[in-house]
Amino acid sequence: MNAKQLTRSLIAAGLLMGSVACGGQAAAPAPAAATKAPAPPTVAAPAEFTFTGWAINEGASKDVVTGYMKAYGASKNAVIKEQPYPFGEELNQLVLQASGGSAQGAAQLDIAWLATMAATGKLKDLSAYAKDRGYTQAGLLSGQIKGVQYGLPWTTGSIGLAANKQLLDAAGVTSMPKTVAEFEAALLKIKKSNPDVIPYAGMTAAAQLKDILFWIWTFGGTVIDDKGNVTLGDAGSVAALEWYKSLLDRGLMNKEMDRFTARQLFSQGKVAFYDDAIVMKGIVTKDSPVKNLGDLIVPVARPVLKEGDAPQALLWGHIVVVFEGKNADAAAQWAQHLTSDLGTTTNYFEKLALPPTTDAALKADLVKKDTFTSDWSSKITASAKANPFALYAASARMESILTERVNAYLVGSVPTAKAALDKAAADITPLLK
Amino acid sequence: MERVSPIAPATGGRRQRPGRLKDTQTAILLVLPAAALLLAIIVYPLLNSMLIGFLDKSLIYGGGAFVGFKNLEAVLNNEFIPVLGNTLVFAIGATLLPFFIGFGAALILNGPIPARGFLRGAFLLPWLVPSVIASFLWLWIFNANYGVLNGFLRSLGVLSQNNSWLSSGGSAMLAVLIAKTWQTFPWIAVMLLAGLQTIPADQMESAAIDGANRWNRFTHVTLPHLRNVIGIVLLLSLIWNFQHFETIYVMTQGGPAKATTTFSVAVYQTAFQAFDLGKAGALGILWMLLLSIVVIVYLRFGMRGEEDFA
Repeated sequence: MNAKQLTRSLIAAGLLMGSVACGGQAAAPAPAAATKAPAPPTVAAPAEFTFTGWAINEGASKDVVTGYMKAYGASKNAVIKEQPYPFGEELNQLVLQASGGSAQGAAQLDIAWLATMAATGKLKDLSAYAKDRGYTQAGLLSGQIKGVQYGLPWTTGSIGLAANKQLLDAAGVTSMPKTVAEFEAALLKIKKSNPDVIPYAGMTAAAQLKDILFWIWTFGGTVIDDKGNVTLGDAGSVAALEWYKSLLDRGLMNKEMDRFTARQLFSQGKVAFYDDAIVMKGIVTKDSPVKNLGDLIVPVARPVLKEGDAPQALLWGHIVVVFEGKNADAAAQWAQHLTSDLGTTTNYFEKLALPPTTDAALKADLVKKDTFTSDWSSKITASAKANPFALYAASARMESILTERVNAYLVGSVPTAKAALDKAAADITPLLK
Repeated sequence: MERVSPIAPATGGRRQRPGRLKDTQTAILLVLPAAALLLAIIVYPLLNSMLIGFLDKSLIYGGGAFVGFKNLEAVLNNEFIPVLGNTLVFAIGATLLPFFIGFGAALILNGPIPARGFLRGAFLLPWLVPSVIASFLWLWIFNANYGVLNGFLRSLGVLSQNNSWLSSGGSAMLAVLIAKTWQTFPWIAVMLLAGLQTIPADQMESAAIDGANRWNRFTHVTLPHLRNVIGIVLLLSLIWNFQHFETIYVMTQGGPAKATTTFSVAVYQTAFQAFDLGKAGALGILWMLLLSIVVIVYLRFGMRGEEDFA
């Protein structure tokens, strides 16, 4: 074989591989010039973009949200492609896509992730889309970073305490506990009354130990103070963690408890108290073997350390953001429709019990007459605070450092609460930038 | 004296025509596409990921300033020792446990047992289950609140209340090892069974006639015959387990309190949860260096094995 033959062979092989890789495209015959038809009237090509979210992944909400996508796509000449992720995986998938330049379309975000996503520099400013749509001020704030409206609020609520009234009644707990001492007494009564019931399914699995935040606030801790210093390891946070572990040690809570497990057990009538977002009612009542469970769920203002303190809760919510790039405006219009169209938002509330974020939807009869939502809003959301890490780009990492150290203390691999929280503070401080 | 390739046609001292390639040139050109592919998909990513270990690079902020050994120093001063310990415990445990069980299974399946053909197929089932699915099954078995294991032990009266198998470092690692053993031992059993079937029956018979009991036949005939298979199986298992990710991540995410965080989990968490590519790259460099030792042993063993067979 000479050089020319070999070169020709390699080129031929390359072309063959290229045509195979390109599928039918390379082999498709070119249209014959003689049969060229007159060009059809111009029809605008449908705007194509993706919608990313866990709402189109989870069984409870998937059909509802994909239904909105289809209806909107049909009415607006748009093709909205689904990109579902589990809740726990979505943030890192979006960060990867943003850093690789492939993130596009609209995405559902937990409000705690916004600072991280905004730091990638790939989010579109949605200020123009937030105007005159009647969003509540609290909702708009949940989608802002340094005054820029990166997210349109989809639902705003809180993570608070819910109780199964039937189990409380059976244990002789006649009124909702208002202080930590009363709460402990109630848990002990429940435990004594029925050892198979978990008195308080507080989170003990590392993934959801951010719930320690509201107990730290309850005991007077601040996590990050007004000057931006990490205060974990102060008296309030140490007292909170020691108390939390004491509940575990006394069998008033269970180990390895995560939100999924707590919901399942609450649904089966095996949990008296647990913490969740307002969305919990729709989830735990679905397929529950407990008759009329929906009527037995009571939103409870978190017990306070001493009378007169404000009950603590963690602000919680979902926003929709849009990535800069092709069809970003079309994606922003979809985000606006999804979060503020009266029919869509009230239907979303009806199907999933997720509170809307516009004044008009909140005033709708369907929402106003829902006593569970109004109770939850007045008892829990009214005094809810934002996640203290949510302002920082490294919020996810900061939260995981805290949960790892708290978990280490709960499972006994760190001897004291003080040591666990001091280490958390030392590791979180360098991330405050 | 001119050396002539045994397969190349003799040129008879004729001069090569102008434009005709020499054999070495042809060989280089033929190897070039494969070499380019290798460079693109193995060498470049490897070198790039090693380079990242020397940069201050984040998935969120980008960046990329050269920081020398700062990332390596940070990793060595913090998580390296516990992560190394966990990796060694997992890699050795997940190699030896399935090896002994797989060896036992292979010996049983090699013997005259009823339904041998069916059992040989049935033994493979755990290996056929995708690793992530098997890990979820074991996660549910060990779950503290609704796990089958607790229910079973409580029904027998062994436990009075549920035990949290995945909440303490020791039992969590043991649980992960049990899950991994269940998934892996069939592969080892199949490999060793194949080796057992190559042992000539007359050697076993001769040993028996010479008065060797079962134990002696096992130690003096079976084991020497399986030496190479055992070596390859153990080394490959060790290498794979050194890199293993999914069972640990699904069952414990490296917890509790990092008690099951191995190199693979640590690199994943540092890169894709803390978004710190620089430190993840530094961890990757150390991980690769350690793994290289095992790979070198494997290559040397493999070459020696080839010589033995030659």
